[in-house]
Amino acid sequence: MDFMELLNFYIVPGLVLGSIYALGAVGITLVFAILRYAHLAHGDIATLGAFIAFAAVTLLGLPVYAALPVAMVVTAFAAVGIDRLFYDYLRERPRIVTVMASLGVALMVRSVVQVIWGVDAESYIRGIARPENWWGIRLKDREIVTILSMIGLVLALQLFLMKTKWGKAMRAMSDNPNLALLSGVDNGKVVFLTWLIVGGLCAASGFFLGLNTELKSMMGWQMLLPMFAAAILGGVGRIEGAVLGGLIVGVAEEVSVIFLPSEYKAATAFAILLLMLLVRPTGLLRGKVL
Amino acid sequence: MEWIGLLNYAVFMAIFICIYGLLALGLNIQWGFSGLFNAGIAGFFAVGAYTSAILTTPEADGRIGGFDMPVPVGWAGAMLLAAAIAWPIGKICLRFRSDYLAIASIGVAEIIRLVIKSEDWLTNSARGVTNIPRPFGDLPYAQSQLAYLALVGGVLFVAYLLVERQIAAPWGRMMRAIRDNELAARAMGKDVPFRRLEAFVFGAALMGLGGALFAHLNRAITPEAIDPMVATFLVWIMLILGGSGNNRGAILGVAVVWVIWSFSEILTDQFPPEIAIKAKYIRIFLIGLMLQLVLRFRPEGILPEPQRGVSGKKDS
Amino acid sequence: MSPLLDMREVRGGYGDADILQGVSLNVAPGEIVAIVGPNGAGKSTAMKAIFGLLHVRGGKITIDGEDITGKKPNLIVQAGVCYVPQVDNIFREMTVHENLEMGAFLRSGDLTSAYDRVYGLFPDLQERRKTLAGNLSGGQRQMVAMGRALMLDPKVLLLDEPTAGLSPRYMEQIFQICRDVRDVGVALLLVEQHAKQALAFSDRGYVLASGANRHEGTGAELLADREVAEMFLGG
Repeated sequence: MDFMELLNFYIVPGLVLGSIYALGAVGITLVFAILRYAHLAHGDIATLGAFIAFAAVTLLGLPVYAALPVAMVVTAFAAVGIDRLFYDYLRERPRIVTVMASLGVALMVRSVVQVIWGVDAESYIRGIARPENWWGIRLKDREIVTILSMIGLVLALQLFLMKTKWGKAMRAMSDNPNLALLSGVDNGKVVFLTWLIVGGLCAASGFFLGLNTELKSMMGWQMLLPMFAAAILGGVGRIEGAVLGGLIVGVAEEVSVIFLPSEYKAATAFAILLLMLLVRPTGLLRGKVL
Repeated sequence: MEWIGLLNYAVFMAIFICIYGLLALGLNIQWGFSGLFNAGIAGFFAVGAYTSAILTTPEADGRIGGFDMPVPVGWAGAMLLAAAIAWPIGKICLRFRSDYLAIASIGVAEIIRLVIKSEDWLTNSARGVTNIPRPFGDLPYAQSQLAYLALVGGVLFVAYLLVERQIAAPWGRMMRAIRDNELAARAMGKDVPFRRLEAFVFGAALMGLGGALFAHLNRAITPEAIDPMVATFLVWIMLILGGSGNNRGAILGVAVVWVIWSFSEILTDQFPPEIAIKAKYIRIFLIGLMLQLVLRFRPEGILPEPQRGVSGKKDS
Repeated sequence: MSPLLDMREVRGGYGDADILQGVSLNVAPGEIVAIVGPNGAGKSTAMKAIFGLLHVRGGKITIDGEDITGKKPNLIVQAGVCYVPQVDNIFREMTVHENLEMGAFLRSGDLTSAYDRVYGLFPDLQERRKTLAGNLSGGQRQMVAMGRALMLDPKVLLLDEPTAGLSPRYMEQIFQICRDVRDVGVALLLVEQHAKQALAFSDRGYVLASGANRHEGTGAELLADREVAEMFLGG
């Protein structure tokens, strides 16, 4: 196998998949760092977002890319609603109880998707997209959009976290919750903002997975493990770490096909997760360990 | 006659309640007494089912074994292998908060599912393992079911007694101390990760045994026999509803949830097929909702954990 | 002079048991007051009671005549009391300047004078505005912690063991910072483990034992007291 082949068949698809994971992993890392629990419904909320975009395309007749912002906004508020209904009142209990509640929410969200949209595979656009040749690298338009959107969304998020008052409050809450509260930060508002952002990112991640593959009711659940692996690989609480982790996990999954039967793609993420917990639980970029 | 049919159905349900009872006891050791979050119950269940199946079936073409061993050997093997898989996972994850174990256990269950689905030589993949010997399988249907119920009921009872004894022993006191105040327990020199590992491995072994009992009941096991998420989640809601930290509560929760689950299935099967398919997902939605309601309104479950001495305080 | 902070016969604790069995103390404007006492005397607990971090079941706490007994920390901050916890008192992953910004979270409008005052007090911090607070030395971190609390322009600053874990050299530095803070018109109440040094540099002191007042007086008086001396200084 020559280098271009490796690039075109493994690295490029890996980076596309990795961008999708990165969007989810950023959300996971935010919840992990600010709210301090592992959110197991993350993947299924991504599925919900993907199908909301699907509804926007099929019912409202929106162009595919116009459905993305719609899905992000709707899913963001859905995530806030889920928090209000199912997580918020558990705040005073040990955090692991919320992890359990999120497992229940995962099932609930998935069954809502299955009831409304069924279990058959769907897609946003019919027909086969042809890749274009960029100096020997073959890329489809939607792959370029996926990678660029991921970069754009993450930069916007970073800008928000670094430059705005409430972005800083979110970082403060992640850094030292007690001191943030002593400083007068309203925890409720931070939680609200976090879910708004996380819900939007979930929708984006689900949308791009649906765009590059197809929409299925289990698609998000199957992303959960790679997304967590990415967040932990990058270092919990590190946005740039989650992106790096997502890209590494995506590429590793695609490259693993060279050595392993393709059924075991999902095992790659699991191996990365265990390896990191074993040798460097703080992740590549020194994140938190709960 | 109608009532014989009903009776048969009741026995069938009771067998399942005993099998799920083992899973709930296993989870109670992990979660109820030790605070460990295992989201991969179905994985350990499947390992137990396949292990016992492969050990006890007669020689078969195209896959490893079978080894035609006695059924008790199969059960022991099921427990051992489930424990052996739990051990390294626990070893890696139990140094951290239980969130990491939750994620890793989802991963384990997923890998186990993949192996079962794709490793022809081991599990015969989609065709599954058949010809699993069933204890008392030669008796006529009703007697055979009753005998099997007596068997699984006996196993559950023994497991219950053993777990109860262990929980009342100093080991159980120590586990609760660790769960309720990890820092204090560490300060007293307890090897917290190792104790948790014991609980995790022990619980996983019981789940493996549950899987073995299931495989021998059905005489066959296929990858489709269990929906991993639904099975795992059912056990969770059983334990939480019944009362985590209380073994009798756990078994009561199994009975309540299993009865509701089975009757709702009978109910939805009456619907026309179009709606029946949707109804299946609505049922899953409702058990998810049930968990939320229990967590909100009765977090201690139907039978709360008994207050054992001064260390019985829950929730930090 | 009428007291700025007045705490009378306060009883309370975290759970059901009362740790404080009736503690009274006060701080006048421009004073540095130290609370000392053996381990478990309730020193830090008394401070947390002022800041609304525990159940106060009896007694009264006022600031400038305003009753703050049992109020939430954010209201107490607005009444003019800021609190520097003993540990985890900075945002490690944020820059020095951002730490100060978080300190002023509840304030709106122009903060230039507040920054100027803090940077004027701690020129070291001015130089390291863009450094992550977690990368600073122990003494500098304490400056960040105090600077953060000063951003709200408090009348009284509560310091919980500001010198814990610091070397003697830093201890002197912290005490000097405290004097500087007092000199810009902020009264200080601090809990100290290092009783002798703390009493030597404070204007007044309270000795607590078993959750109640045992002795009070000026730093010099307490240092000269035989019973107090036996409690800490001899043993």
